[in-house]
Amino acid sequence: MIKLIVCIKQVPMVSELPWDAHTRTLKRELAEGMMNPACSHALEAALQVKEKHGGYITVMTMGPPMAEEVLREAIALGADRGILLTDPRMAGADTFVTSYILARAIEKMCPDFDLVFCGCNTSDSETAQVGPQLSEELNIPGAAYVEKLDLTGRTLRIQRLSDNFLETIEFELPGLITLTTQHYQPRYVTLSGLQQAFEQGEVVPVCAADLGLDPEFKSTKNSPTRILDVFSAVAQNKNLVMTGAPQKVVEQLFKKFDDKIGGAIGKDLKEKT
Amino acid sequence: MKHTVVRKTVRKFAESELSPIAHEIDRDAQFPLEVIEKMQPLNFFGLQVSKKYGGAGLDATSYAITIEEISRVCAGVGLCVTVHNSVGAFPIERFGTARQKERFLPLLASGKSIGAFCLTEANAGSDAGGVETTAVKDGDEYVINGTKIFVTNGGVCGTALIFAVTDPENPRRAASVFIVEKGTPGFSVGEIEDLCGMRSNPVSSLFFEDCRVPAENLLGREGDGLKIGLTALDTGRIGIAAQALGIAQAAFEASVKYSRERQQFRKPLASFQTIQNYLADMATEIDAARLLLYRACALKDSAKPFSAEAAMAKLYCSTAATRITNQAVQIHGGYGYSKEYDVERYFRDAKVTEIYEGTSEVQRMVISRAVLSKLT
Repeated sequence: MIKLIVCIKQVPMVSELPWDAHTRTLKRELAEGMMNPACSHALEAALQVKEKHGGYITVMTMGPPMAEEVLREAIALGADRGILLTDPRMAGADTFVTSYILARAIEKMCPDFDLVFCGCNTSDSETAQVGPQLSEELNIPGAAYVEKLDLTGRTLRIQRLSDNFLETIEFELPGLITLTTQHYQPRYVTLSGLQQAFEQGEVVPVCAADLGLDPEFKSTKNSPTRILDVFSAVAQNKNLVMTGAPQKVVEQLFKKFDDKIGGAIGKDLKEKT
Repeated sequence: MKHTVVRKTVRKFAESELSPIAHEIDRDAQFPLEVIEKMQPLNFFGLQVSKKYGGAGLDATSYAITIEEISRVCAGVGLCVTVHNSVGAFPIERFGTARQKERFLPLLASGKSIGAFCLTEANAGSDAGGVETTAVKDGDEYVINGTKIFVTNGGVCGTALIFAVTDPENPRRAASVFIVEKGTPGFSVGEIEDLCGMRSNPVSSLFFEDCRVPAENLLGREGDGLKIGLTALDTGRIGIAAQALGIAQAAFEASVKYSRERQQFRKPLASFQTIQNYLADMATEIDAARLLLYRACALKDSAKPFSAEAAMAKLYCSTAATRITNQAVQIHGGYGYSKEYDVERYFRDAKVTEIYEGTSEVQRMVISRAVLSKLT
C-alpha cells in the first residue's frame, strides 16, 4: 500500500495581519485560521491518488494546538491520520527550521513513506521554501510547482510550471512534490465526515522531545533567518471619479483611455473619431 | 473545536456557493436547485439524522451553527434546510416505526426528498386545534381531504407531514400526522406565494382531494398530532432562532463595514458616537441571542428539557433580528433602503422569523406556562 504524507499549514483567514516588532513575527493569533489554499490542493491531489491506487494518507502540520483544526478537516476529507507537531520550542521557526523539524518527524513517524505532498507556497509568508528544503532534508527527489501528476507503479510523472513553460518530469518514488492551485480543486468537507473526524479520527500530538531534538533546540534560536520588517504595500494609484450625466462620463472615459480601450478591443479608436 | 470547524466549513460553502446568487434568487423568487444538489452529498439535509440512515448525526449546537451560517448568507435556503431537518425529518426519526424510518429517512437525509411540515390552514395556525383537514380510515388506507397554507418548501417537497383530524365527530378533534409523498394521487401543490421575504423558498399551499395514503403512513398513533407537533416545534424553534441569528449577524457585519467606509462630514460614520452606540447595542443583542440559543442547544444535547429555553431563544433571536436589521437599514441610510444593498433583504427576511414556527406571542405562552408551572 502506497504511503502518502501531506504537509499542511494553518494560515490566518485575513490577508493582512499586524506585525509584532518585539518578536518579529506576525500576530497570527488575532485571526481565525484556515487550511492554506495550496495545501488544500496538495491534499486533494493526495486524495485522488488514494482513490485511484489505494493508500494511506498521513497529514502533518506544525503549529499551535489550534492547528489541530486543519488536521481534523483533512481527516474529514479522507486522510487516515493526523500528526500535530506542537511545542513552544518549535514556535517561531523560519522555513529552514520548519523543514528540519518536518523531516525529523517524517523519519520518526512515517519512515517508510512513498510520496510527500506540500502546497507550493503559503498565503501568509509566500516563501515557497519549505517543500524544496524538506526534500533536501529527506534526501529524496523533489519537484516544485507541480500542476498535474500521474503515478504508474513506482514511477511518478509530473507536469510542473517552470517560468513560462510546462515541464514533464519522471522520477522514482520516494519523492516530494509541491502543488500549485491550478488543478486539483479541493472538494467540500461533508458534515458526516467532520462528525466522524472528531469522533474517531486519530490525531497524534508530537513535541520536540518526542522527535529526539537536542534539548537546547529552540526554533527562535536555531532559525538563521531574521525578518527585519514587514509592511503593507500601499497602492500608488488613486481612484479616478468621473462625474456628470452617463453620456458625458463615457465620453470622458474614452477620451482619457482611448489607447487602452482600443488596445483591449483591437481597434484604433482615435482613427474612428 | 468541532463547533469552530463546523462553522468554518459551512461558512466556506455558503460564501462560495450561495453568496454569489443570494441577491438574484431573492429578486427572482427562485429556488436554487443547482446549489441544493451540491448540498445534498455534504449532508445538509441529514444534519441530525442518525448515521445509519445516511445522516451526519450532528449535535444540536452544530445543527444551530449550520443553520446560522447558511442564513447569514441566504436565509431562504437556511429556511429550507432548517424546516426540512427539524420538522420534516426529525419527527419521523423520533416517532416513526422502524419501517417508516427505513423507508423515509435515507431519502430525506440525502436531500433527494425535501421535507415539509403542514399544520397551518385557513382557520388553524397558532390554534393547532383548529385543523379542518380530515383523514378518514377506509380499509387499510386513510383518505385525506383539506388544504394547507403557507407551507415552507411546499413547491419542492417530496415528503410532507400532514396534520389531519381522524375523528371529526369527537369534540376534542385530536389531530393525527400522516407522511404523504409527492406523486400520491389527490396531492397537489398550489401557486408559490409572493412573500415579503425568504423569497427563494417556494412557500405554497398544498391541496388534498380524496388523497389515499396507506395506513402505515400514520406517524405515531391516531390523536398523537399535538404531541408530535409540539415536540417537532421545540426542535424547530432552535432552527428558526439560529436562522434569525444568522440574519442579524449578516446585518451587523454589513453595518460595521459600511460605517467604516462611508464618509460624512469628512469622517467615517464609525467615528460618530451615535453610530458607535448603535453598533454596540447590536453586538450586545447578538451575543445575548447567541448565548440563549446555544444554552437551549446544550440542554437538548444533554437530554434535558429545553422547550421553554428554545422558546426563549426563538423569541429573543427573532425579535433581535428584526431590531438589528432595522438598525442596519438606518445606518446604511438611503442605500439601506435600496435593493442594491443586502441589508434591505435582511430587513425583509428577519420579520417572518417572529411569525413562523410559533409567533412571538405563542413563544410567550410557552415561556409563561413554564414560568408559572415552576412557581405553583
